Amino acid sequence: MAIAERTAGTVSPPSVSVRPGWAGWLSTTDHKRIGIMYLVSAFVFFLIGGIEALLMRIQLGVPDNTFLTPDVYNQMFTMHGTTMIFLGLMPLNVGLGNYMVPLMIGARDMAFPRLNALSIWLFIFGGLMLYVSFFVGGAPNVGWFAYAPLTQKQFAPTAGVDYWIIGIGLTGVASIAGALNFIVTILNMRAPGMTLNRMPLFVWMQLIVAFILIFAFPVLTVGTIQLLFDRHFGTRFFLPNLGGDAVLWQHLFWFFGHPEVYILILPTMGIISEVLPTFSRKPIFGYAFVAYSGVAIGFLGFLVWAHHMFAVGLGPLANAFFGAASFLIAVPTGVKIFNWLATMWQGSLHLTTSMLYAIGFISMFVIGGISGITLASPPINVQQTDSYYVVAHMHYVLFGGAIQGIFAGIFYWFPKMTGRMLNERLGKWQFWLMLVSFNLTFFPMHLSGNEGMPRRIYTYESEMGWNLWNLLSTIGSLLLAVAFLLFLWNVLTSIRRGSIAPADPWDGATLEWSVSSPPPVYNFAVTPRVRSRRPLWDEKYPHLHEVNGSHETPAARLRGLLYDGAEGEMPMAMEPIHLPSPTYAPLIVSVGIMILGFGIIYLGDFGVIAASAMLVGLLIMATGILSWVRISHVDSPYQAH
Amino acid sequence: MAGHGEEHSSHAYGEHSHSDRFYWLVAGVLAVVTALEVGLFIVNEQHLIAKWLEVTLLLILSTIKGAAVVMFFMHLKGDAGIFKFVFLVPLAFATTLLLSFMLLFSEHVGIAG
Amino acid sequence: MSESSMTRPQAAVAHHTSLGVDNRKLGVWAFIGSETLFFATLITTYFVFAPVNRARPDFQDPRQFLDIELTTVLASILLASSLTMVLALSASKRGDRRWFTTWLLATVGLGLAFIGGQVYEFNHLYHEGLTLSSSLFGTTFFVLTGFHGTHVAIGVIWLLSVFFKVRAYPDSPENAMDVEIAGLYWHFVDLVWVAIFVLVYLI
Repeated sequence: MAIAERTAGTVSPPSVSVRPGWAGWLSTTDHKRIGIMYLVSAFVFFLIGGIEALLMRIQLGVPDNTFLTPDVYNQMFTMHGTTMIFLGLMPLNVGLGNYMVPLMIGARDMAFPRLNALSIWLFIFGGLMLYVSFFVGGAPNVGWFAYAPLTQKQFAPTAGVDYWIIGIGLTGVASIAGALNFIVTILNMRAPGMTLNRMPLFVWMQLIVAFILIFAFPVLTVGTIQLLFDRHFGTRFFLPNLGGDAVLWQHLFWFFGHPEVYILILPTMGIISEVLPTFSRKPIFGYAFVAYSGVAIGFLGFLVWAHHMFAVGLGPLANAFFGAASFLIAVPTGVKIFNWLATMWQGSLHLTTSMLYAIGFISMFVIGGISGITLASPPINVQQTDSYYVVAHMHYVLFGGAIQGIFAGIFYWFPKMTGRMLNERLGKWQFWLMLVSFNLTFFPMHLSGNEGMPRRIYTYESEMGWNLWNLLSTIGSLLLAVAFLLFLWNVLTSIRRGSIAPADPWDGATLEWSVSSPPPVYNFAVTPRVRSRRPLWDEKYPHLHEVNGSHETPAARLRGLLYDGAEGEMPMAMEPIHLPSPTYAPLIVSVGIMILGFGIIYLGDFGVIAASAMLVGLLIMATGILSWVRISHVDSPYQAH
Repeated sequence: MAGHGEEHSSHAYGEHSHSDRFYWLVAGVLAVVTALEVGLFIVNEQHLIAKWLEVTLLLILSTIKGAAVVMFFMHLKGDAGIFKFVFLVPLAFATTLLLSFMLLFSEHVGIAG
Repeated sequence: MSESSMTRPQAAVAHHTSLGVDNRKLGVWAFIGSETLFFATLITTYFVFAPVNRARPDFQDPRQFLDIELTTVLASILLASSLTMVLALSASKRGDRRWFTTWLLATVGLGLAFIGGQVYEFNHLYHEGLTLSSSLFGTTFFVLTGFHGTHVAIGVIWLLSVFFKVRAYPDSPENAMDVEIAGLYWHFVDLVWVAIFVLVYLI
């Protein structure tokens, strides 16, 4: 048997001291609990970001509206963008990855469980710090890209930008720590036989995203640190009147910002690549192409950042290069789309809610991709830039694409995570309502954009001729809110009264379906052994094995560097299961870092008080690190037996 | 570096330690190269050779230094391929970043320039 | 393969891993990769502003401010600390507690000497009129070298905590790995200085 999991009863479950109630969550190091914490907190932030969008849509619903003041409107679009990207989409993907990646590769936990806990707390505190700004003089009002010199003290005198810097900084540290964790987990903790070329595609995409993260985020970190120094410590990086360079900020920001787009979309492409084969009852078409086109997208993503800056006037050479490189990205993306279509082709499609969302992803993402290709052309871009056409494009990619992909993943894996099925009928209602209202909201923006409506204006005059499009968008956005309420209702009722989920409700092919729903705390009683890309299908349908031919022919480009020692047969010893103990240390360290962050914000203005706060923060950090070291020594695999 | 396919292939990767005498030798080379760099810098204050040549020589010398630190002190030479991957790929990205930004800003000294 | 490996009781990896390498070591290498881009961005900023600095009325010439003798001493200190670090690792692997202690504390001492030298340098430059806000050179120089100094300080704390944790049994596999990954970080910080030394001080 390829999977030894059915014998769960023969191994005594490990003794894990999970603390009850809230304490259990605050001290957890279990990747599954941390994944759920990511999903729940990110969804709360996502709803807040949605409310901000609704407020903007209400303001723009009719011309010459006075529902929001210009300043509040600026705060809204800044916080909406920042929230959705850093506190919504990214952590939703991380949450699904945190829960599913160890299960899919046959591991018992992430490589660094305590670092994982640190990531979730830093993310939550970073998000909260960003929102504290509302209560201390106003949220940042400079756009999620925070263009210099608008962010300088004379133009943005409130502490909003400082909270933006520190909030992004904390979530950035969380992201880098999380990415390191994913890299080590995926590369080094796969079950025997799970070679890189047998990994589920969702795991592949998470691996690529983790690498993008650790390469791209430091650039943003440096940019924001320099901005902080500009605002408080007398430097002049982005101050043009003193020789600084506002364009440098744009370059630094987008050198991070464009890879960030792929950080948001690639994991959802991975979700689609799991959902489509499962509900088409067919293996993915062109596994290697899907995997390596992801690598290509990740790589090319670093070479196109200046297509966000065509309006700056970089010169014909730079424009030509960045335009051409941007067109090039359409190739691996197109490869993926045709692979997905070919996966469905002649499959026996099961139109579950998850599958509907996956198909919705493909169709909406194609529309967003096509408008993206038009924007990659510098002369067209100069016409469209900063207009609602761009808003339409990015929402088709990030909402029609990423959000629908995440819904596909949530409907797919909710039974695994909770042990209950989501209501399919409600889910389908939600899907159709969302699809229609999404298009009602964002399609008219193509038209208002083409008619010249600029982004980030808080109102417009009736004579501009944009009234109808804006009214449609606003109606659509209200309907979207209803769709999200349906989802919320679905989750809240299903989690208590939904039908009980079996271990393998969808007849899946990957390892997470081999364990109970929800999985035991140790995931696998016996480490599974993997012999193909679809271990469960091979076990359930042995007569179909090898029908689809030469799936063992890997595209071996990375082979030399990533050669996997687990290829061959491995004598498996029955190991005692050892799980990390719960600990508050990561939470304590995060609290210390947050206090340190508050101190940094006010260091320039209230020197002594802020410095003492920083000292307190450092002391709390040190306490946390001490208890961290102690517990990690106890838990060390070297000490285990 | 062979050594995959064994249960504890770490044996193959782990044993890259050189003798202490070798480390002293590397440090000696580093000292000599540093002396060469500083010497070149001081001597060329009289502009004996063209600036571009000096810069090229300095860059070559420090690349030697950096490579020695990475290969021998950090034991990257002979260590597992994955370590090379996670260090050399970002190093390539970093070099690209530096060069492309210098190119992008080469004719652009800002409005105050 | 040196004699040191003969006395090691166990492999460096406690459990089987897919790539046959230690999880923490892989994590630290990936972290170092990430840090490479952090410093590359700071250095890039320095280079982008170097010509602008020259073109401005408040131009401050790096060659006038930077003292090549002091810098050479600092660079030598860090290079020497890399030597003592690798010797400490070697001693820890063969279970030589006395030399392990000597070399590791020497590394810490050299690190502290570097920080002291940098504090002296910053203080000196400040009195010469070079500050964060005096010119673009001041802005870029202090942020770049300051962040490097911060990394050295963190490295010193890391080394000290490793020392107190492992000094009783520096040759156990877990402890040798503790020393090795702290050393990796330390060498990386040295490596950054190799780059800063040539790019900022010499060119």
